[in-house]
Amino acid sequence: MKNWKRSSLLGLEDLSKAEIMTILETAESFISQKSNRISEGSLLKGYRIINLFMEPSTRTRVAFEIAAKSLGADVISITGEASSLTKGESLKDTALNVQALGADAIVIRHSSPGSPLLLSKIVDVPVINAGDGAHEHPSQGLLDIFTLRQKLGDVKGKKVTILGDILFSRVARSNLFGLLTLGAQVTLAGPSTLVPLEFEELGAKVTHNLQEALTDADAVMLLRIQHERQSATHFPSLSEYSKMFGLNKSVLDFMKKDASILHPGPINRGVEIESSIADSDKSLILDQVSNGIAVRMAILYLCSNVRKKI
Amino acid sequence: MEVEELNINLIGARILDPIQKLDCVQDLYIRRGKMFFEQPPDDDSKSYRSLNLNDHVIMPGILDLCTHTRVPGTSSTESIFNISQSAAKGGFTAILAMPDTLPQSDNPGTIRYIEDRIKQSSLINIWLTGCLTIKSEGNSIAPLGSLKDAGIIAVSDSPRSCIDSQIFINSVKYAKMFNLPVIEFPQDSYLSKNGNAHVSSFSLKMGLGGLPSIAEEISVQRAISVAKDLDYNIHLSSISSVGSVSLIRDAKKRGIKVTADVTAHHLILNENAIEGYDTNAKLFPPLRGEKDRDSLQNGLLDGTIDAICSAHQPHPSHEKNVEYDKAPAGAIGLETCMSASIQSLSTKTDDPYPVIVQSLSYGPHKILQLPQPAIKKGNLANLTIINNKENWTYHPNTELSEAVNSPLINYDFQSCPVLTIVNGQIIYSK
Repeated sequence: MKNWKRSSLLGLEDLSKAEIMTILETAESFISQKSNRISEGSLLKGYRIINLFMEPSTRTRVAFEIAAKSLGADVISITGEASSLTKGESLKDTALNVQALGADAIVIRHSSPGSPLLLSKIVDVPVINAGDGAHEHPSQGLLDIFTLRQKLGDVKGKKVTILGDILFSRVARSNLFGLLTLGAQVTLAGPSTLVPLEFEELGAKVTHNLQEALTDADAVMLLRIQHERQSATHFPSLSEYSKMFGLNKSVLDFMKKDASILHPGPINRGVEIESSIADSDKSLILDQVSNGIAVRMAILYLCSNVRKKI
Repeated sequence: MEVEELNINLIGARILDPIQKLDCVQDLYIRRGKMFFEQPPDDDSKSYRSLNLNDHVIMPGILDLCTHTRVPGTSSTESIFNISQSAAKGGFTAILAMPDTLPQSDNPGTIRYIEDRIKQSSLINIWLTGCLTIKSEGNSIAPLGSLKDAGIIAVSDSPRSCIDSQIFINSVKYAKMFNLPVIEFPQDSYLSKNGNAHVSSFSLKMGLGGLPSIAEEISVQRAISVAKDLDYNIHLSSISSVGSVSLIRDAKKRGIKVTADVTAHHLILNENAIEGYDTNAKLFPPLRGEKDRDSLQNGLLDGTIDAICSAHQPHPSHEKNVEYDKAPAGAIGLETCMSASIQSLSTKTDDPYPVIVQSLSYGPHKILQLPQPAIKKGNLANLTIINNKENWTYHPNTELSEAVNSPLINYDFQSCPVLTIVNGQIIYSK
């Protein structure tokens, strides 16, 4: 693949437009070949992929498992509670052991920003970031962009609003980096305590006014509000959040008629989004989930292929 | 320690001691450890060593206001001898040891233990601080009178700050009774809780943050108000933000008794040093933006900031070789402090040496109420000698210590401490 030379995917910040397009086009090819499962199923035959999930995750871990299995690889998932990290083993030692067990690639989810980079310096197999603290979640960003492109076509010049807890969100950062690289206009919106103005220096527009955030937006990405983490210190209550920043029927009045709504899940119905809107035809939420498999297949395939050539 | 009496001729160096009105190229003779500007008449110079020191600067011995010795501590690899050897290599003739030992330096027994270690193995003068509050936890005043009797010369809760303002005021008031210098590490621990980097677009991008400038500045303002109210000097340690510099500048203009220091790391690096999640550049206070660094340099040049310190803090590599947010903050700095300071100030002034003498020798001695180590006929030599034209690259000495946690590894410097003389004896020579 001429535009892909990385054996690890640590984030979207450093990816060029051509690299992002290579992943998206590869994912597209997996979707269009849906009927041809047999040929896909041999692409990573004999590979051993280890999911090292040090933080709770269901959909990302399962999506990576399905993606790896669809390519014919063997997958072993190690989760936080079951790993030796909870017994005081350092990430370095865990990583070396995982490598010694014969991993051909490691998919890592970890609460510490930068931990996939640290891991990639320790092991010499591909490392795929499946979410590191508040830093990046590149596979989620890519599947969001993939889904947006299915709906909007080229995202260049399109207005995308990301709404919610931006400060602590890795999904927001990966989407921001990827969308800006592809030429979209990104607005970050939410309570002033969760959307710092410093994001403007990274190329986004920042607003704390819901109407301003939604008018003209071609798509709105909602983020899960993690009240258990930010309660009291960053906003008063879930009901106040829902009143001020939730997507309910009344805000549909000032949204574009054909605007799309995305959410990385799991959604809090009645908090970020009213139930009927989540189920409406504006919602691309389930498309995101199924696209997530093709995008992760593309990531595993491209990174492993580079590794093969080394 | 038995060392031969020093007899040496230092030829051709710039001798710089502005308090003694000395700034000239002149030979300096050291006879039996004492300094002379002319060869003593009954001297048999043949048996003495001569050193040609063109392009060198001789200055009064420098003192580090902030060394975290970690002795006693959890790491078996750090020792008073290692620390003093590192300090001597960095040109320091004296250091002030911080009280964050284990057990904490909040009781006379610990102080006496450290003093014994110093007597046995230190090459340099090591002065001790005691905790301002018990265990530096900010809940009750430490026995400052007994600590002073045991030998401390200053008090501090570094690298923490007493969050309860009433206890802080009473502690300072109590320290004033013993005329003990108070060193405050300004940081509002509520505002910096769980933080790991300066708050900026740079750290936001990396998913880091939590250590905003305001956490330091609120604490600086509190110290200024307390110093004014009690009419007693509070020394602010390791200030790092543009806001702190202007608060201190204004306070000094109003005649309030505050002094301040900055670390050499904050003078030469900015937040970009944490790129790639480099835990060696994870400091507390954190490295901040370029504007902050610029204002710290200006603060030194205009006298707002009184001193430069190393904030030397060894951590064994297994502690630093972890995820960024899990790594302890702090870096070793004794060996690079002088060279980094000269390099940083050279970008602002053609002749950084007068500010260097002021901020590494005069300032620290004055803040601690210690006599200045003057370059004066008949005085015992306490000297720091710098080669102003020596290019070198920093690599931590792994034989001395397991700690290699410096953000300046592989950094190129253009000047270097080459000779350190304490109480008339050469303790380090390159």
